[in-house]
Amino acid sequence: MDHNQPHAASEETRMLRDLVAKFVERDLMPLEPAVLKREATGGGFKLSEEEEKTLLARCQELGLWGLDVPEEFGGANLPLLSLAAAEEEMARACVPFTIPPDSPNLHMMLSVASPLQRAKYLDPYARGEQRSAMAISEPGAGGDPAGMTTRAVKDGDHWVINGRKIWVSNVPRADFIILMARTGDGKRQDGITAFIVEKGTPGFVIEREIPMVGGRRTYELVFEDCRVPAENVLGELGRGYAPMQLRLNVRRMQMGARCIGMARRALEMMTEQAQNRVTWGVRLADRQAIQWFAAEAVMEIHACRLMVQDLAAKLDAGADVRMEASILKVRATEMAQSVLDNAMQTWGAMGVTKELPLQLMHQQVRLMRVYEGPSEVHRSAIGRRTLGGKV
Amino acid sequence: MKVLVPVKRVVDYNVKVRVKADGTGVETANVKMSMNPFDEIAVEEAVRLKEKGVATEIVAISAGPSAAQEQIRTALAMGADRGILVEHDGTLEPLAVAKILKAIVDKEGPALVILGKQAIDDDMNATGQMLAALLGWGQGTFASKVEKDGDNLKVTREVDGGLETVSLKLPAIVTTDLRLNEPRYASLPNIMKARKKPIETVKPGDLGVDVTPRLTVLKVEEPAKRQAGKKVGSVQELVEKLRTEAKVI
Repeated sequence: MDHNQPHAASEETRMLRDLVAKFVERDLMPLEPAVLKREATGGGFKLSEEEEKTLLARCQELGLWGLDVPEEFGGANLPLLSLAAAEEEMARACVPFTIPPDSPNLHMMLSVASPLQRAKYLDPYARGEQRSAMAISEPGAGGDPAGMTTRAVKDGDHWVINGRKIWVSNVPRADFIILMARTGDGKRQDGITAFIVEKGTPGFVIEREIPMVGGRRTYELVFEDCRVPAENVLGELGRGYAPMQLRLNVRRMQMGARCIGMARRALEMMTEQAQNRVTWGVRLADRQAIQWFAAEAVMEIHACRLMVQDLAAKLDAGADVRMEASILKVRATEMAQSVLDNAMQTWGAMGVTKELPLQLMHQQVRLMRVYEGPSEVHRSAIGRRTLGGKV
Repeated sequence: MKVLVPVKRVVDYNVKVRVKADGTGVETANVKMSMNPFDEIAVEEAVRLKEKGVATEIVAISAGPSAAQEQIRTALAMGADRGILVEHDGTLEPLAVAKILKAIVDKEGPALVILGKQAIDDDMNATGQMLAALLGWGQGTFASKVEKDGDNLKVTREVDGGLETVSLKLPAIVTTDLRLNEPRYASLPNIMKARKKPIETVKPGDLGVDVTPRLTVLKVEEPAKRQAGKKVGSVQELVEKLRTEAKVI
């Protein structure tokens, strides 16, 4: 039995999975030792320009570009089910590289961008020539947007933005950011508008870089009388939150798929060690404690993969998937955390070295349990929807 | 010229093969299946011949269960033009496959059939040779280089102790060795294009071929477990053991 052989919705999905798996095996995995060493010796969790250039060229050659981008923008327009398969395979390697473009912002822009914004921002972004970031959280307003205080005030044909954003990823390389700001006084998410703010706009300040666990970095941003043209309002005024949710649901699907990829890698490594390592005359594979680690991993990976496939299929069908997305976000991140932890335990001292990818993946999943909504917020949402709670 | 490329569905080379509990064969249920790697090399070579303008059409053929369509589709994504699936659920021995291929060759009239020298599942290394015999065509087996040479095909063969070059009159059979080329990945745009390429399905009976097995498998079992090695303390001890225990010097 091969539990890593998931049901493929279509031949394209199966062949895409094979293609990405080959790309990971032949192009990403060989980079992993150098990436781990660089991170361990203070060089950061990143690729050299040369490495990244080579990988991008390879992606272009293989057509691994814009997987879920509509054909009118030169993409492959694959269903999210295919995207999920690709994400899962990619996450097996602990190498900071994603198939361009970063798609969650794409979905928000596709749903609401004006013709002008499509030409100016979406086109180059979809082609992978531009990068973007998304600024939502503020000091004191993370999972709960009601506390958002960054405000945009109309001044002629411009909006003037003042406020502070935090935990924003990808900032230094982003050509533009999507910024959420209050334009009205509605409750909770009413009155929040999305703006496209270009890099270098006066009043848009990168305040500081914040080192995170897992080799990641986020940024704190300050907006001081930052003037943004009115045409850069993304979507409807005061209704920026719902399209952003659309982005988040795709993002949570991707996160779920990535968790499965990491957990699979952990299980592969756990298996390798369990079959080779002998303690007091017995292989680890023959010890019940380790067998249970493996069994737990197999069951959880299987369950989470079914959740990813269900979520992807429903997203493709345009269903409201907030519940499914919450369930997956919590379950998949906690699953990967536990499987990685058990794999590290199986490897003993070697498992907690910086020579193996397990520790870095473990830290990255630790981070994933917090961003895009901490487990507790999702659990509350699931419980509230189930019980009809008010808060 | 038209090129025929037979491709076989086999257990993926990364999978650790397990023998079925009842000893009748190896486990293939829920196991990742792929195109035989030697056949992948054959598809790649055919596509290169087409890119050089030597081949005009590439037809990928597989004999096996309906799921073997997957391997044909992969060949189409690598650059083959159309596919033929000869659908059969039971065992297909090399002679049966060679007869099936002969029937298709008679119908299609290719100038070249290029296929893997063997499949990684049963390692028979027989189908190409049998097909050459049935057709009465020349064959260049274990090819590490294939070149068009006027009306002929120049094939470099990997033989014991070196390389042998043979000149084949077309039509001919070529079987591929590992070093012939490195197969490309099927790129995403080509995967999408492969969706629209046709696959025709026929049964062995439609081709007038009797595929009843001629052999009976008595039992399949795993190789004996390897015995643990011995550690020696010195060269002297090693030589001593090689002489008295292993008796090789």
